[in-house]
Amino acid sequence: MKFFYTASMSMLFCYGHLYAQVNTDKCSFTLSGKVYSGETHQNLSSVSVEIKELNKGMATNDSGVYHLNFICAGSYTVQYSHVGHKTFTCTLHIQGNHSQDVTMHFDTCSIHEILIVKRRGNDSVPLIQPQEQIKGKELDKTRGLSLGESLKSLAGVYTIQTGPSISKPVIHGLHSNRILILNNGIRQEGQQWGSEHAPEIDPFIATNLIVVKGAASIRYGSDAIGGVILVEPKKMRINPGIGGEINLVGMSNGYAGTSSAMLDGAFGKKFSGLSWRVQGTYKRSGNSRTAYYYMDNTASKEINYSATLAYTKKNYGAELYYSSFFTQLGIFSGTHAEAVSDILSAIKRDKPLTPDVFTYTIDRPYQLVQHNLFKAKAYYKSEKLGRFELTFASQQNERSEYGYIPFTGKLNPELYLRIQTQTLDGIWEHKSFKNIKGSIGFNGITQGNVRKYEFLIPNFRNYGGGILWIEKWQKNRWSIEGGIRYDYRWMRVYMLDNTTAQVITPTYHYENFTIAAGAEYRLTEKMSISANFSTAWKAPTVNELFSKGVHQSAASYEIGNSNLVPEHAYNFNSEIKYSNKNFVLNFGAYHNIIINYTYLKPDLIAIHTIRGSFPAFSYTQANVVFTGVDVKAEYTLHKITFTTKTSYIYAYNNSIHDFLIYAPSNRIDNSIKYEIGKIGKLQKVSLGISNLNVAKQNNVPANSDFALPPAGYVLLGANINFDFLIGKQVVSVDFSVNNMLNKSYRDYLNRFRYFTDDLGRNFVLRIKVPFEFSKHNTNNN
Amino acid sequence: MKYISKTKLLAVVLVAFTIQACNKEEQVVAPTIANEALTTVSVIVTNTLAPFDKDTATWEQLLDANGYPLPVDVSKVDLTLKANATYTAELVLLDKSQSPVFNVSNEIKERANYHLFFYQSLPSMSAFVIPYTSGDVLPDPIPTNASTTATVSSNALNLTVSITDHDSNPQVYPLGLQSSFVTGANSTGWLRLMLRHQPNSKNGTYTPGSTDLDVGFNVTIQ
Repeated sequence: MKFFYTASMSMLFCYGHLYAQVNTDKCSFTLSGKVYSGETHQNLSSVSVEIKELNKGMATNDSGVYHLNFICAGSYTVQYSHVGHKTFTCTLHIQGNHSQDVTMHFDTCSIHEILIVKRRGNDSVPLIQPQEQIKGKELDKTRGLSLGESLKSLAGVYTIQTGPSISKPVIHGLHSNRILILNNGIRQEGQQWGSEHAPEIDPFIATNLIVVKGAASIRYGSDAIGGVILVEPKKMRINPGIGGEINLVGMSNGYAGTSSAMLDGAFGKKFSGLSWRVQGTYKRSGNSRTAYYYMDNTASKEINYSATLAYTKKNYGAELYYSSFFTQLGIFSGTHAEAVSDILSAIKRDKPLTPDVFTYTIDRPYQLVQHNLFKAKAYYKSEKLGRFELTFASQQNERSEYGYIPFTGKLNPELYLRIQTQTLDGIWEHKSFKNIKGSIGFNGITQGNVRKYEFLIPNFRNYGGGILWIEKWQKNRWSIEGGIRYDYRWMRVYMLDNTTAQVITPTYHYENFTIAAGAEYRLTEKMSISANFSTAWKAPTVNELFSKGVHQSAASYEIGNSNLVPEHAYNFNSEIKYSNKNFVLNFGAYHNIIINYTYLKPDLIAIHTIRGSFPAFSYTQANVVFTGVDVKAEYTLHKITFTTKTSYIYAYNNSIHDFLIYAPSNRIDNSIKYEIGKIGKLQKVSLGISNLNVAKQNNVPANSDFALPPAGYVLLGANINFDFLIGKQVVSVDFSVNNMLNKSYRDYLNRFRYFTDDLGRNFVLRIKVPFEFSKHNTNNN
Repeated sequence: MKYISKTKLLAVVLVAFTIQACNKEEQVVAPTIANEALTTVSVIVTNTLAPFDKDTATWEQLLDANGYPLPVDVSKVDLTLKANATYTAELVLLDKSQSPVFNVSNEIKERANYHLFFYQSLPSMSAFVIPYTSGDVLPDPIPTNASTTATVSSNALNLTVSITDHDSNPQVYPLGLQSSFVTGANSTGWLRLMLRHQPNSKNGTYTPGSTDLDVGFNVTIQ
């Protein structure tokens, strides 16, 4: 049985150039090259390249590059195979180091359908803006982690954490309501009012996580000041049959277990075009452990599932999707600090006073979060006009936060919030003419929020609408892109008047234009340079306007400001990309100017309440800048790949002439990967070690925090992964260790750093079993 | 044929969700109910030798209609005691944000194993019962400089508080709703009263848990 692709053998067309080098040692030649897609002209990664006679092979890397070493002179049959593509075989006469580039074409049986799907993948991301993705083996290595943790290996992406179980992505220093997450194409609308409100998404639905860095509102809607995260599921199956994948993850820290399964199928003949997929994940973790002690009440569980039904034809198609996310998260009991005096005494302790024991039991305080999403999408492709797509989605996010059982003995949550959102998006991608491609579209949204028990944010209803127009011109070495967008937003708040207790309805409306322009120039085949300017804006959110009171576990008294105005971002991005056979460099620089940036400013006064004194923080607006550099360099020497990633960020508050609070620390992430290939029965064996250096954040404003930023830290990691066969079944295994030296450390962006260390050593075993029941299988080995 | 039926299904679903969107649930505002609301703390003292020598001091912070705390009412926080006398003291804790007014002290008595009160006379000559951390802010009406130890005994408030009631833990730890106030020579100062919430961790000391209540009173011994 052959996995991942239908092996329809095809005629060969080898166009690579040969160059012979006279070499006395006849078994030290290399075969290397790059694999491109014949349709999209992009590099193809994860293509299996195999020399049949030697039983020797490897997969192409992210840049489509492959290297096979220690080949003796002679004639060989080399086979290139890749999912959805025609397997390509050619005969090569090796007499020296040999370079062989290959173009692979889609499998003719499904070429039209694939083309349609493929187009979506490329056009849903703006071309000229720094973006990175995690997929394939890299994504496999993050399985079992939350969305925020999965993304933080990318340069320029950080996380803001609330203990071990809550992690939110930060792009170029911005997070929460300044980042847009598109969950299977739908704008994720959850409760994003604090750093303890993590995105309600199961990363197992995705086979590709794309991060667009910098203001990307033009295509996706206002608020995307920091960037956009696209959680992209696997393309719907086209070849008739049933397939699937099982993922199992076990972690030593927290004795956490995750199991996820996906099953998909497509019908043939009469029902050709009809396909389906079901997927589910169950995750359970006990108390997490720092280097020296357990964190009490940090157990969690998660139950997620989704189902998709799609009908795909050459010119039209439709899709129905439903997903459910449920989690129960314990909140570390050692952070139950209510007043300044508690937090000050917690900081003085090396170790929390809470019990140092392991359990799976989730006790109070905890959070219960349920997020449901329904999506219906239809598209039509006209030969004359282009492609039309309409997407409707409805989502509900229900969040209950439970504190300790109060004096009254009542068991209800302290806080309950339910937000319901409906969105309708339409896009017309017009037929390209004279090298110009483009699209015109609209987004509509309505949202209602209902609260109960304690007051964090009021009830509200909002309506929003936007229209957009983007055009892209591409010729020879140049690509130029420009776009304009208009958004309108109306919001009405329903709350009680402080004194009369009558319902009052403050109403707000905002409107703004957004523009974007970018250019890319390909200097050579190997090198390109691009620059991009984009604007974005964000209307004040309800918490910024109306919060008032103690944010628990933050020990701060937050005061909203109902006179806030929208914030505007002016974002400059530039990127230089270079890639050759064994060296890849991405150098990106950004400068993000934000006018009226809304943040919590320490008032340096205490508010007295019956529970003690709390430092006051007011929502204030300031003109700030975020400047930074993201660098990724990868050098391949035979089977060894060296990778280094640097994220440097500088944030400054121009209004008060001081640093901006809570900017991520600078970091360098180095790794070495050694691809051994085959050892006995193990295939694709690869070893890796990594070293993450996080610097201390020295750029902090004076008198703004309870404690100084923690020291920098260095974490080491290692991993081994390989495939093996059980009968004809491929099983992929990855075994890794994080924080190998069991270093005790605290991170500046972890809100629980006042109370506890961060995670200690963690051994992780990941097993992936893809399977396939296809009538079209041919065993060609 | 297949496609048409699906379009119909899609239309039905779309209509269903549009109807749901018109649901104006958010216009009904639920009242703010804070789980752990506590608005009023009274200390009632009775002279053990003269039952008519009674005094009450009350610290109060009411909430507005949205549950936000209003400014602290310190108009009734004065407690006057006779010199060289012994008083029985009782705490009454109320939540006036509920109707009828909810008696929180009764609940604390029921959950005695999770709670512990601390009384700190200020200025003090002896070691602090409630530790003072630099940077901490004291409750109204106590000025911040009151937290420094009195250097001469004439500055100290001559009030010693000992807790007389206990919880039902096997170790029988003190609770603090009932106590005994013993006064010395004439002096003035403040009394800081704190309630520590110590679920599953109460050990008779201040350290475990978190603060549920932190208030102050003016005390005159004459």
